[in-house]
Amino acid sequence: MTLSLGRQLKIRSMVHMAAEPIPNFWPMRTFIHHNPLHGLEDHPFPEAIERGRALFHGRGFLARADYQWLLADGRIDPDALDTAIDRALGGYPALQATGGHALIHTLLTRCREPARRPCVLAAAEDVAAILAGGVPSAGDGVDVERIEDILRRAFPPERPLYEALDHLYDTRIGETLDELLIKTCLDFFDEGQSAWPMPGREQGLFAAWSQLAQRNLRLFLRGLHIKKILDQSDTPEGIIAFVLDELGIPESSWPGLIVRELTHLHGWAGFIRWRERAPRYHWAREYPADLVDFLAIRLVLALSLVREHVRRRRMPRNRFELEARITERPAESFLRHELFTGAVLPTRAESVEDAVARGRPAEIARLIGAYIPEKRQAEAGTQSRALEELAQRAGTPNAFRELSPGCLAEVLTELEAFERREGMIWLEAMETTYRRALLSRLHPTPAPPREKRPFAQMLFCIDVRSERIRRQLETLGDYQTYGIAGFFGVPVSFIALGKGSEDHLCPVLLTPKNLVLEVTTGAEKLETDLYSSAEHLLHDLKHSVLSPYFTVEAIGLLFGFDMVGKTLAPRLYNRWRHRIESDKPSTRLLVDKLTREQADSVVRALQRVIIVEAIHKEFGIERESITDAIIRELREAALGRHTGQTHFAQAFALGKRAEADFIQTLQQRYRINRSYAQMQLERLGRIGFSLDEQTYFVAQALRSIGLTEQFSRFIILTGHGSQSHNNPYESALDCGACGGSHGLVSARVLAHMGNKPEVRRRLRREGIHIPDDAWFLPAFHNTTSDAIELHDLDLLPASHLVYLERLRNGLQAARRRTAAERLQTLPPEGGPELEPIQAARMAQRNTVDWAQVRPEWGLARNAGFIIGRRHLTEGSDLEGRTFLHSYDYRLDPRGRLLANILTGPLVVAQWINMEHYFSTVDNEHYGSGSKVYHNVACRLGVITGNLSDLRTGLPAQTVLRDGRPYHDPIRLLAVIEAPFEHAQAAIDGVAKVRSLVTNGWILVVILDPETHRIHRFADGQWLEEPLPGAAHGQTDPTAAEETRA
Amino acid sequence: MSVFLLILAAFFLPLFPATMLFTRLAVSTQPLPVRLALVVFWPQIGVVLILWGELEPGPILATWAVMSALFYAFRMLTVREVGRWNAMLAVSAWPLVWLYALQTPAPVDLVAVTLALTTAPVLMLVVREVLVGRLGAAYTGLHGGLARDLPRLSGIIVVATLAAMALPLFPGFFALLTLLGSAPVGFAIGILLIWLLWSWAGARLLQGTVFGPRSGPVAADLTAPRAWGFAGLVVALTGAGLIWTGGAL
Repeated sequence: MTLSLGRQLKIRSMVHMAAEPIPNFWPMRTFIHHNPLHGLEDHPFPEAIERGRALFHGRGFLARADYQWLLADGRIDPDALDTAIDRALGGYPALQATGGHALIHTLLTRCREPARRPCVLAAAEDVAAILAGGVPSAGDGVDVERIEDILRRAFPPERPLYEALDHLYDTRIGETLDELLIKTCLDFFDEGQSAWPMPGREQGLFAAWSQLAQRNLRLFLRGLHIKKILDQSDTPEGIIAFVLDELGIPESSWPGLIVRELTHLHGWAGFIRWRERAPRYHWAREYPADLVDFLAIRLVLALSLVREHVRRRRMPRNRFELEARITERPAESFLRHELFTGAVLPTRAESVEDAVARGRPAEIARLIGAYIPEKRQAEAGTQSRALEELAQRAGTPNAFRELSPGCLAEVLTELEAFERREGMIWLEAMETTYRRALLSRLHPTPAPPREKRPFAQMLFCIDVRSERIRRQLETLGDYQTYGIAGFFGVPVSFIALGKGSEDHLCPVLLTPKNLVLEVTTGAEKLETDLYSSAEHLLHDLKHSVLSPYFTVEAIGLLFGFDMVGKTLAPRLYNRWRHRIESDKPSTRLLVDKLTREQADSVVRALQRVIIVEAIHKEFGIERESITDAIIRELREAALGRHTGQTHFAQAFALGKRAEADFIQTLQQRYRINRSYAQMQLERLGRIGFSLDEQTYFVAQALRSIGLTEQFSRFIILTGHGSQSHNNPYESALDCGACGGSHGLVSARVLAHMGNKPEVRRRLRREGIHIPDDAWFLPAFHNTTSDAIELHDLDLLPASHLVYLERLRNGLQAARRRTAAERLQTLPPEGGPELEPIQAARMAQRNTVDWAQVRPEWGLARNAGFIIGRRHLTEGSDLEGRTFLHSYDYRLDPRGRLLANILTGPLVVAQWINMEHYFSTVDNEHYGSGSKVYHNVACRLGVITGNLSDLRTGLPAQTVLRDGRPYHDPIRLLAVIEAPFEHAQAAIDGVAKVRSLVTNGWILVVILDPETHRIHRFADGQWLEEPLPGAAHGQTDPTAAEETRA
Repeated sequence: MSVFLLILAAFFLPLFPATMLFTRLAVSTQPLPVRLALVVFWPQIGVVLILWGELEPGPILATWAVMSALFYAFRMLTVREVGRWNAMLAVSAWPLVWLYALQTPAPVDLVAVTLALTTAPVLMLVVREVLVGRLGAAYTGLHGGLARDLPRLSGIIVVATLAAMALPLFPGFFALLTLLGSAPVGFAIGILLIWLLWSWAGARLLQGTVFGPRSGPVAADLTAPRAWGFAGLVVALTGAGLIWTGGAL
């Protein structure tokens, strides 16, 4: 079967469209926080939640019991809940008439289970009959049409056939299919974890799998005749068309079915989707794969599994036969469905199982005749008991008893709709609670201007973990702190010392143009010590096919020593290991753009080094035997710019042939040739920033945070990162604004730019006067230990050295105080309050404790994003829950800086917030479950146990404590300090942000510094309100009167 | 007379197809005390018949016993109702007494081995009763993930299932060790296979009840005194088993 190009493209576009709601999955080496419903962000929040439930089977809100626990814990204000109930109740007239606010309040706060129970067969009349003290009418026998309708609704054409078979014949094809597909993914997408890689991967996923699957004995022994299916077409698109035709799926249902197939393993699908769009990703270039391949493999396996089961048992082989089976044997199909979906009446389970196993029509007819009324009665009984219980608890025992069947039907319909939307009520109540608390802590009145410059100005990432240490520093001494996105506004592509690949140090929304290279200063001699050699040897032994067998016998004891040390005395052991491990050499970054001459010179120098090495390797000739002239001549010859015999050939008596061979070797093996040189030149052209770019980035960074005058002696640029052991999620704790990497490099880059005299001269022309004694100093904030380490101190002017001790003291003290504050929330809980010095020690232990599943809370409990001047939040304890971006609207008359903040940092914060939200409300589906069961898969992600979908989202240990939410799952509240029109224009000017705000993914409050009033976006419009209970003496929030803007 | 007694004993230390009588009775009998009495005394009648009639089971009968036990151990993999599963366990365990009888042990030891093999069915009967009382049925796969909501109930399910799998410390373990110690190689392999199947079936039972995602209705957990009561029963049975094996091994 050969498909026309048009049809192939149609199938491709179907797959492409079907994958839209599936979130990308980035390799975990650089964990990217993202919204699991990112593909649905163009829908209003509640609608997206519903669609997410249908696609990923994930819950969009916490369970009611969890919200009740939060209410009891004081994290939801009862008044806010009352208000939210009243707001929602207007849309439910029947409920309002029945019990109103009291009934609903009781339902939400005192009932754990839903009041509306699933009723497949029971009608409102049945429930009414039981409530009235009677029994439901027996009915007129079995309604076959109703049964058929129930079954047809359960198995729409978009639903894969194997799911129907699983639910009707208990076949578990879906489970087997997932297992087989996961194994294929683990083989193909491996990034160096397995010692023996899958062959033929360079041909692409489908081609490589097809070749293997046709010869796979295990599949053959399972009765899966893959070859017969693969013979039908050469292309994955052709295979998809063939399988769907074979299964009898109408073409109109293909898109729906493809969505369901892809979302079955949405972790792997999300990874493949990301990989397709990452052209620079090494593994994607080497081993291409796309979702069409993935789907084709899934469908081939599905069809072969269905065929295999059909051969063994009498069951439908396609949709036509399924339809026919439902029509011919509705009672048996219904009973099967009841039994194998777990909906069967427990008391009847055994008899139903026996009956469907025997398959005797008379017996089944007898059974269904008894089963249907019994089930109806059971459903009606459960429903009426739930209503009675609710009414009793609300203190209105007759609330439902007195209703007519018609009214009860309305109440039940509304109750069902209400309970589906109930999460929004809780959510709004939680958000109101937080909003009031946050706004009441803000100080809208600016502090009087400083008389003298501060001792140090410190720029921190906007990350919520910076809030605590900023507050402690400001409390301790003469420090002025600022918040800025952790990449300091400079998108950098970075190649670290000894690495061959580039890391993008910026939000994933941006693609950096400039490359920064880390090079060694040469201050320390680079040599391989014994320890490193042993480490490499051990690594090689562990990662080959056979050697682990004897390695364990020979040196297994060494691992035991390592294990005991790491477990019993992690701090001591790691200190000892640090002593024997070689330190990272001191380095510099290549930040300045190279001129053409400089680039040429670098390439020449590299080529000369390579030629010397080549001569040594090929002929064993040492460097002292050859001159620079000989090397230069050989280089010219390799580049094709020299003819005739070289002096090298003359000096070492090389024949013409041998000389030509060597020149060819230089060109091919050592890549001394023109095209490679050109490529190197192009790459070198990407290195560094021009003077204009450097001036622009420094000016932009300083202006965006409102720091344009009163520069202090130290301007410390603090990048941050996390440190932990045995933690695949370590990069999730690093800087999100740096693409999930540490922020130190970005700090070093901006410091280099800021300290450059020429840049400062240009800045002066732009009105930013940085005094000569001001020095930009990079630093690293370790968020696990709270330590702040200063870097590039060797570049510090001598005049600053005398202040260094004071600076270090201050940082150390702030570290201890922050650790003492932070460790109160980390286990072990309930212990005595720690002294700052003990707390710092405990926090330090978390950085090296390999048994610690929660080295820090990371960004958990994030809830707010404040864009404004520091005086708004200075001195307020915001509990490490807010992203703080410094911004002075007075320096941004055209709103461009604000637009930049909204486009980058705010959107990144919203991704982080949504990742935490969904991982909290449904950790199994949107999060990654418990870390305890995780295994690293393919070096790119984690799976649960030995075989599962790639786990997306955050682990339970990051967002839950003792199974209860530690993170408050609420939407990000952005507070912008700027005149209303100014901020509104900036929001309206950024389409993405406008969409997020209007669709309710971000909540926005504009705090107008000129009127001290707030403007809040709610229900599609801006509402003007007074600032609740603010520190400048505003009124009680409850007394605040809302006025329409 | 001895043939008649032998046939009669094959109903009480059930051998296929005489097993059907016990399985039918075990499933249809309702009150727990009656079920318990049935499980405890049924095989003992067989033991009494062997001792009274001085029956000497030959290798053919022993082979038949192993095959019968294997068959029902295999059946345990396919049965989902816990009561029926338990009946299968009993009729898979008791035929092994015939193997022990081959060695003409002391009467007290024969009784003790039979009792040891009866421990797990007794515990499972209690578990079934608790499950039915709380969830309406004791049916694997219907109410999964009980560990999350009903930790005490899950605890007793796990303990009873471990006893059914004849794990160490439970009397069944020592009974099997005793049998293995005295059985010829062929029978020993059969016993090991049966043991393996029990473990497999037990793991499936746990998978369908205790582990996995929670499904089924909300139910109250076992009260602490009841859980302690069950624990006391387990300790007593295990202690008795240990005391007995102290003499037997």
